[in-house]
Formats: sequence, structure tokens, C-alpha cells
Amino acid sequence: MNTEKINTAKKQKRKYQIISVLSVCVFLLVWYLATAVFELAPSYSLPSPVKVFNTFLTKLHSKAPDGATLPKHFISSLQVAMLGYLLGAVIGVPLGIAMGWFKTVDKIVRPVFDLIKPIPPIALIPVMIVVFGISIKAKAVLIFFSTVIPCITNSYSGIRQTKQIHLWVSQTFGASNMQMLFTVASPSALPMIFAGLRVAMGSSWMALVAAELLASTSGLGYLISIGRSLLRSDLIIVGILCLGMINIVLTAIFNLVEKRFVRGGKDE
Amino acid sequence: MKAKFNTKGFVNSLFFSLIGIVAVLILWTLGVNYTTVGLLLPTPMEVLERAIYTMSNPIGRTNTLLMHLAVSLRRVLVGFTLSALCGVILGIAMGRFKMVEAIFKPLFELVRPIPSVAWIPLAIVWFGIGETAKIYIIFMAGFVNITVNTYAGAKQVDENMLGVARMLGANELQAFFHVVIPSCVPYIFAGMQVGLSTCWMAVLAAEMVSSTEGIGWTITAGQENGDMTQIFVGIIAIAIVGLLLAVLMRWAERVLCSWRVRGK
Repeated sequence: MNTEKINTAKKQKRKYQIISVLSVCVFLLVWYLATAVFELAPSYSLPSPVKVFNTFLTKLHSKAPDGATLPKHFISSLQVAMLGYLLGAVIGVPLGIAMGWFKTVDKIVRPVFDLIKPIPPIALIPVMIVVFGISIKAKAVLIFFSTVIPCITNSYSGIRQTKQIHLWVSQTFGASNMQMLFTVASPSALPMIFAGLRVAMGSSWMALVAAELLASTSGLGYLISIGRSLLRSDLIIVGILCLGMINIVLTAIFNLVEKRFVRGGKDE
Repeated sequence: MKAKFNTKGFVNSLFFSLIGIVAVLILWTLGVNYTTVGLLLPTPMEVLERAIYTMSNPIGRTNTLLMHLAVSLRRVLVGFTLSALCGVILGIAMGRFKMVEAIFKPLFELVRPIPSVAWIPLAIVWFGIGETAKIYIIFMAGFVNITVNTYAGAKQVDENMLGVARMLGANELQAFFHVVIPSCVPYIFAGMQVGLSTCWMAVLAAEMVSSTEGIGWTITAGQENGDMTQIFVGIIAIAIVGLLLAVLMRWAERVLCSWRVRGK
């Protein structure tokens, strides 16, 4: 009887999987019919899926019309993002931990941080351009800003949420202040810190695209803004889908790392 | 670990906050006055003066600072309301009905990872540079966040509670409105919090790429005229409004779902 139950559950699952596949197929079919067969929308505003796919294939090796191939744009975006992100994480996490643990640091840094926190990084783009020019530096600093803020916030509240009992236990066993920080508070803050890093990844990616849209000479954001000025929406869609893909891949890598390093903490 | 309110502690923390803020302002002023940074950046006093001046005098052709803010806020409000409506409906439907989930989840997963800012060029090609394009961008920014959260909430409805409701004779509709919806509300609010701040960011980006009014436009206009003071006024106004929106949202959550306060 039990196996029967499992079998029906499996069948149910299979059924829904088939429906999922069908739904994507229907979506593509409707898109194809609407654009290529019935031509409901002009091809400059909505190209057919076939054309988008072809553009994707040709963009892999051709430089027209924006001066670089897709992999090149891809690498240049990723490079800037990584630079700013790593810098932000390396500075933000320790600063957040220090703010959470040491009262004096908290009292001095907190008000300054509260001033900076509500500024959306996108609003800083013009300042960055004026100060640093249209360079990799401007974008890296921008991404640094959008990474550092969620990192600090989350590390701070992670440290603050350390269970008082755990601290008491370590105190009873004679741990020094530093030992308590590194062996009790920091590990128990790890899930929060990782959540912050995850948020930071999303917001830094968004800031990067905005920066590339406004002023740059390479990168995926630049690709889609060129697509706009040439009215090549197939190019824009290719760019957007690539941005989405990278996001998925980065999130997957992130999940792997998190699984490897963070133990427990999910059972709150 | 909750700090009790005592006057001494309050005065103490106020003192330290003042030290921090004053230190930043002094460093800023000194940096501008005595180093080469001064060629680029305005002093805090100049920014303050300009902010007060633009309250009553127009930036650009006709709009004062407050009017620009109002234009941006109206866009955000329209886009956010639409996205909240669609997001909550889709999220709950996907979380509660297997069929809807099977149909819409893969399509939604296609849209979800795309940064909302990346929609700007496509929105401009589709809808021109008018209001529709901006509202579409804001809609996409809020929609994704709200749907993800609502979906997670609808998935986590306690089946036992549903069972109890059914056993006590509630029909499907009653169970839905009295059990499912209330237990989703905290998640919906979490989504709306994030959604609103992303919307505020998206409207900036949209206005910076193409527009003729709005708070994002004042920044880009400042950049084009080489007017750093105007850029700083814009940034500070944006930060203050963003903060107010977040506070308002948190207050609304506290009032509307007082039975369950998040983050306790």
C-alpha cells in the first residue's frame, strides 16, 4: 500500500513537471506566433524568439554593432562586479562585526553609517562619474558602496543576536573577550552574514547595470543601452537574458559555498 | 538584550552620535576648503543653502525640489500599487494551487533573476520615454520581490491549522480568508518593504536614463551642468524620502498586523 502511495505521489509530481515544460513551450509558441507569423508587434520592438536566439549565437563571435563580443562584455561586467564586491565584503563584514561587538566603535561609526545607509547607490553614480571619470574605478567604488551597506547591517545584527546564554557559558569557562568574539559570536552570526552577502550580490549587480547603462564603454549594461539606441530589441533581450543567467549561476555558486561553510542556524 | 530607556544612556548615545556626525561634517568642510577635492565637491553649508533655495525656486524649468519629489513619488506609488496587487495574487495562487505553480513558476523563474534596472532599455523601446515605461520598470522592481515573499509565505501555511479550520466546519473560502491570508500577511509585508525600497531605486534609475522631470532627473541635470551642489541636494532628498518610505511601511506593518511583529 505504501509503495502505491509513493507511486501516485511520483505520478502527480511527473504530471506537474510536464505541465511546467508545456507552459514554457506554450509561452515560446505564443511569442513566436505573435511575432513571426501574425506580426502583431513590429520586429524592432518585439523580435521573434528565433531571431533572439540567432542574435545570441552571432554575438558570441561577432563584434558588431557595439565593439565587443558577448563573452567580452560578460567578462568586463563580471570583473568590475567582483572587484567592488570583494572589496565591499572584506571591509563591510569585519566592520559590521566590530560595530556589533565593541560598544565604542558602534557609538562612533553608527551615526555616520545611519547617514549613509538610506542613500541608494544608484544616486551616487553622477558623483562617481565626476570624481573618478568613466572608469573601472568609478564602477568599482559604486559597487563597493552597494555591497558594504548590506554587509555591515547584517553582520551587525548577526552579532547582536548572539544568544546571551552561549556567551555566559564561555565566560564561565574563562574565555577572554576576543575568544568570545571569534569562537562564539562570529560563528553564530555566520548565517546572517551570508544572508547579507546574498543581498549585497543582488544590489551590487543592479548598481552595476545602472552604472553601465548611464556611462560606460563595455559590459552587458552597455550592450543593452546600445541595443536601445539602435532599436535592436533582439540585442536588448539577449543582454537581459544573459544578466539573468549570470545571476542564477552566481546564486548557485553562492549556495554551494554557504552549504559548505555555514552549519546549523536554519532552525530559528 | 533589549536596552532599557534611561536618560543617562540616551544622553550618552546622543553625545556619541553628535561626535560622529560633527566629525563627518568638519572633515567634509576641511577637505573641501583645503584640498583638491574642493575643486569638485561643495561644502555642507552650500548644499544646505541650495536645498532651502530650491524649495521655493525651480530646478530646471518649472518644478521646485518638492515638486520633483512629488512627481517621482507619484510614479512609485502607481507602480508599487500595481505590483503589490499582482504580486500578492500571483504569490498566493502559486503557493496554494499546484496547478498554478506548475504553470507560472517556470515563467516567473525566467523573469526573477533579471535586475529591474535592466528592463529600462526594453521598456523605452516598448513604451517610449513617457510615464508608461517608468511605471513598467517600477512595476517589475516591486513585483518580483513581493511575489517571491508572498509565495514563500503561502507555502509555509501551517497545514495543521488548515486541518483544524476544516474540521470545525469552515468551507474552502472561509479557510482561505481566515487561515491562509492572515498567515501570509507578515511575509507579504516583508516583500512590500523590500519592494518599496527597490521601487524607489528603480524610479531613480529610470529617471536618470531618460526623463524631463523627477528627482532622478535633477541629479543627471546637475551632472550635465557640472553642478555638484545640485547633485548633492538631490542625493540627500532621495535619502530622506527613502528613509521616510521605509519608516512609513514599518509603521503600517505594525498597525495592520499587530498580532505578529516581525524581527522580534
